[in-house]
Order: sequence, then C-alpha cells, then structure tokens
Amino acid sequence: MKKKKCIAMLLAGGQGSRLGSLTSSIAKPAVSFGGKYRIIDFSLSNCVNSGIDTVGILVQYKPLILNKYVGTGESWDMAVADGGVHILPPYAGETGGEWYEGTADAIYHNIDFIDLYSPEHVLILSGDHIYKTDYNKMLEVHEANKADLTVSVIEVPIEEASRFGIMTADDEGNIVKFTEKPKEPDSNLASMGIYIFSWPSLRKALLEDHEDHDSEHDFGKNIIPKMLEEKKKLIVYRFEGYWRDVGTVDSYYESQMDLMDDVESINVFTKDARVFSNSNIYPPQYIGPEANIGKALISNGCTVYGDVDHSILGSGVVIGEGSVIKDSIILPNAIIGRNCTINKAIVNEGVVVDDRTEIGDADGKIVVYGTSKLSV
Amino acid sequence: MKTIGLISANYQGKGFGELTEERTLASVPYGGRYRLIDFALSNMANSGITTIGIVAPYTSGSLIDHIGIGNPWSLGRKNGGLFLMPGSVYGVQAEGRRFLIRDVLKNIKFFERDDADYVIISSSTDVYNMDYKPLIKQHSESDRAMTVVYKKVPRGEDYEGFFIDISEDGRVEKFNTSAEGWGNYFIDCCIVNREFMLEFLKWFGALEYMDFFDVVKDHLDVFNVGAFEFRGYFGRVRSTSDLLKVNQDMTDYVIRNEVFCNPERTIYTKTQDEAPVFYLPGSDVRNSTISAGCTIEGKVENSTIFRSVTIEEGAVVRNSVIMMHCHIGKDVVLDNVICDKYVTINDGVKIFGSEDKPVVIGKEMTI
Repeated sequence: MKKKKCIAMLLAGGQGSRLGSLTSSIAKPAVSFGGKYRIIDFSLSNCVNSGIDTVGILVQYKPLILNKYVGTGESWDMAVADGGVHILPPYAGETGGEWYEGTADAIYHNIDFIDLYSPEHVLILSGDHIYKTDYNKMLEVHEANKADLTVSVIEVPIEEASRFGIMTADDEGNIVKFTEKPKEPDSNLASMGIYIFSWPSLRKALLEDHEDHDSEHDFGKNIIPKMLEEKKKLIVYRFEGYWRDVGTVDSYYESQMDLMDDVESINVFTKDARVFSNSNIYPPQYIGPEANIGKALISNGCTVYGDVDHSILGSGVVIGEGSVIKDSIILPNAIIGRNCTINKAIVNEGVVVDDRTEIGDADGKIVVYGTSKLSV
Repeated sequence: MKTIGLISANYQGKGFGELTEERTLASVPYGGRYRLIDFALSNMANSGITTIGIVAPYTSGSLIDHIGIGNPWSLGRKNGGLFLMPGSVYGVQAEGRRFLIRDVLKNIKFFERDDADYVIISSSTDVYNMDYKPLIKQHSESDRAMTVVYKKVPRGEDYEGFFIDISEDGRVEKFNTSAEGWGNYFIDCCIVNREFMLEFLKWFGALEYMDFFDVVKDHLDVFNVGAFEFRGYFGRVRSTSDLLKVNQDMTDYVIRNEVFCNPERTIYTKTQDEAPVFYLPGSDVRNSTISAGCTIEGKVENSTIFRSVTIEEGAVVRNSVIMMHCHIGKDVVLDNVICDKYVTINDGVKIFGSEDKPVVIGKEMTI
C-alpha cells in the first residue's frame, strides 16, 4: 500500500436523534440536503477538493442508504487504485464483536485500517457539517507547529459560548484549557469537532484510552483532556467562513435556506471547490403552464404544476396543480397532490401528500411531515 | 438467447447546419441533458444487452467524450461491454443512409468473436423508449433471418426513409419510399440472426459501398424478414425543425412519463452533477423543461433549457432550445431559436425564427 500523508476518518455512525423522523430510517449523514445533495457530500467534497483521496467512513446506525449512496466513491472522484472510500462498520473478531462505544472507540477499532496506509496525519471529521474548506490550510498550521493535535475552532458570540465545547488558547494558539459547555466561558473559540492528529500520537492515545474502563471513549470528553493533561502539543486552527452543524431541525432547515439566501457564504453553484454528489439520473425538471415560481431551488426530475415560493424541491418531487409551497423543503421523490398548502415545513422523502392537505404550524414552528419511504 | 447490439452513428443529417459541423448527429444535445444516442444505448442496456458496438465516424470527438467507457449504461464491464468501432470516411457524407455495409465489414470481428444468437441493429438519432425483450421473443420464436421494427404513422409530407408492406403471415414483402406507400414506417431498428449477418457479409461484401437495408430491400423474396410494431412515442429527428418539435414534445405529460420517467427503463446519460436550478424573484417559467445548474431570472415559455444556462432579468425565451452553458443577457427576446453550447446573447438582442425554420446559433458565438 502506498504511504499517505493524511487520510480522513469520517464519523457517520450516530443516529442524530434530535432530527426526529428525518433520521427514522436513515443515518444523519445520508439525510437529503439542499435538493439534490446528502449531508455527507459536503465533507466528502471537501476531502477530494483538498487532495485527500483516502477516507474511512465509520458507520453503525441504519447504514443502508448511506452505504448505497457512497458506493465506490466514484461520484467524489474517490474510486482510485490506492486509497478511496472505505465503509467501516463494527465487526466481530475471535473474541466476539462490539458496537462502536464512542467516537474514539470507533477509530480504535480501525487502527488496522489506518496502519494500512501508515499516514503521518489523520483528519477526524463529522458527517453532519455543512461547510466548504481546504483542509490543507489546517494541515499546514498543524505541521508548522509540529502539533500532536490541531483542533479546528470557530468564533462564536460569547453569550452563546456555553452551548459549545470551548477551547482556551494562549497567544501562540496553544490550547491551555478545554471545557465542555462552560457556565462561565473565558473564550469564544468553539471546537467544530474537526481534528488533525499526528498518527503516532493518536494511535498511542487510542490504545491507552481503550484500557481505561472509566472512559466514555469520546474525543471531546476523554482523548483531548488526557492529551492536555499529558502536556502534548495541542493547538487551535481558527476557521473562518460558513460552518453549520445540522444537528437540529432548525439548523437543518436554516442552513438549507442559506443555499439560496446566502450564496455569498455557502456557494454550491460555483465551479471552484464544487460540491459533488451521487445523483441518480433524472430527466430535467418540467415547469407546467400554470406554475408560479418565486425564489427557489429546484432539482432534476421535478414536475411542478403549482406555486413554489422561497422553497427547495428535492430530486423527483411532484407539486400538483393549485398547491402552494412556501418557505418549505420538499425532500426527494415526495409527491404533493393538488390544492395543498404547505407552509414552513419539511416533507420527508418519498411521502405522498393527499390533495387539499394543509401543512404548517400557526406559531411558525418548522413542521416535519410524514414518514420517509426511501428508494435506492 | 444471447443478443448483442450494434448502433450506427456513422451518418449525418442534412439541414442541421452548424449543429453538426463539429459533431456527429448522434451526439447532438437533446432534451436538456441528453444526446440523441442516449436513447439507442439506453434501450439496449434496459433490455439486458451488455455487449454493444457503436460504429463511430471520424468526427466522433464529442461522441467519445459523451460515452466514455459506457459507465452510465453499465457497460464498463469485463464480460462484453462497450466497443467503439471506427466507421469509414464515406459515412459522414452518406445522408439518409445509416447502415453502410463497409462499416460492418470493417468491424466483422465484433460479430465473429461473439457467440450471441442475435444482433439488434439500431440507428442512433431518434427519440423513443423501447423494451426490446418482446422483439427478441417474437423473433426467436419465428424462423426468420431478421425482424424489422416499424411504427404506424399518419400521412405527412416528404418522409425520408422506408415504409414496409407486410403480408398476412407477417412477412415483409416490400420496402417503399414515402412516394410509393405509407403507413408502416421502418424506424431504423431490427434484430438479425448473427449467423445470417456473417453469411450476408460473405455474399454481399463486394457491395460494400451500399447500405445494408438497400440490399435487404432488393432480396425480400430470398430473405425471410418479419416485422414488429412499436406502439410507443417515436420522435423522429431529421431536421432542426424536428429537433425543436421533439424537444417541445418533452413538455407533454404523457410523453414525458413514457419516455423519461419510466422507472423500469431510465434513459441514461453522462452525469455532470450540477447544482439544482436557482430561480430568482422575477423569473417566470411556463411549460418548459429546465436542467440542473441553471440560474433563471427571466421569462421562459415552451422551451428546453440545458444545463448551466443563465437567463438574465427581463429576457424572454419562447419556443426555443438553449443548449448548455449559454448566457442570455438582459431584455433579450428569443423566439424559435436553437442556441448551441456556449452561446452568449448580449443584452437587448432580439432574434425571431419560425416553427418550420428555427434560427440556429452556432457553438460559442456571441451575438
């Protein structure tokens, strides 16, 4: 196997329970996003756009659609001879099998995989972040500082800092303190859950953590505090730009709307640093004779007879005559009947909405409608 | 009953002007995201055919770029797969003729090396979605050398190609020109026994400058030829006005569902992975087909808009076909216009063609 400078490990096994019915039958990274994308597209595209061609994807919760979607990685130019994408589920050994118990435990169980490529550095990513970046910039900082660990951080308003894992750094960027959800934060640098470890340091930390039976085997709770304690070289990398964790229905909704409302910050239309996806082959969309389209993002394969205003339609969606879709996101292959009114809602994948249905909350809360019927 | 496929792309059409100056008719863009050859290829792939040869002309750059190793049609295989075969120079001048014997002769190994029972032979430039399995079944249950596919068409003017007379027991008795007979239009597709094809090439190799069907037509008393009726939508593309029409046919609910939205028989094409279409306030789109990657601020009516087209505010695009990467400026008016790829129409320009004679704007032009 060719030696790699840096490979990525993408944590994609969590359930994402705060997304409710959106993840009832699908892992969070595979949830539809922005019409034709799935959440994982952003991280995978960042990798390929940064020249990282070897990615381990750690799966556990309902991985069927995710596995099918990632496939050989060809859609992200990752069907390469040395490297490529590897789906890494929990597995059994001579002494039985175990589920991944935590983020660090998932990586621990794949030490052999990482050793195959004997990389100098390992980039740890979450499969549920929306952002565009070049990881090389972070890697440069990591290497220049000869760090054991570099943590990507973003400035948050100090009054919101108590919702995040907060890094306190000195003037040179060395991390001096890490506090999970501090009551009285002394820094506004929030950890984004994106780490670059030097592989020997991470390897050692994982082996030790595995022996520690009090550990929850979590990067934030266990690995980082222990490395700090051991006076390892931990530094921050200050990320600038658009970054969203789509862990809640509100953030999932808002960051999708940003694709059309805030193109300056998160641009999926530009040809540089493209966001790639594994798109099924749909015919182009058809807009009917009576349709009225306001501001909208509409994907391939849609058939629109009704009105769409400030909304996103996923691939293969049908909007029946007389229906009015406003401030909403219709996930792929949902069929909206005639004379429906949908206001500030998310309609799950493949849901059939009967004629004259009204969806929307009087208080303006985002409604998630229907149970996904996924097709592969 | 193994069947392989042979697609002829080594011919041009007359009257396509600049659209076919640098590309073969088979790779003319169609329907927002397709090329004409996608239909022949997808029909075969969807009918379980996994070995397909394409006879390509020497102007096949755009065709090869589009098809690659055939992955969208699942033809990147170890067993069988896609064979791009060079056609003869003669082909590109051969208007109207689609299956030159010398093209087949030149690639005779394609037939010799395979052990298939049958070969489906198809042209590459008409729009239809057909399941070949019933054709293969009918043919294999007959004792005929070949079975040709036809479509019943209403009477029209000056139809290029052949119409067939069929006897009561289903044998093809005569190939007519449109002046001689009308009704059963031969859609340039047939299934033939592979062994018969090899024999045929032995007998008629000396007539290599002729078209396969011109020879068949003169030997219907010797060759036992059957007929199979195709009842679906058939979009014939023989002129720019046809091209405009078949693009507009795509907005018909029934045709769109039959040809493009059949989950059992997807029309495959090369994917470009563009972003969803971005509609901005002020856009007004009616009865049109729009492809991914477009940004629309103007008015679009009865038109087909290909990938990554920008239509600026105040622009009006009516009854037109705008191919990929075009830029339509502010307050432009286009009516019955076909813009090839990468055309720029500057602010305020107004161009009017007609249904019968659409204005064609050549690739990469700025107006």
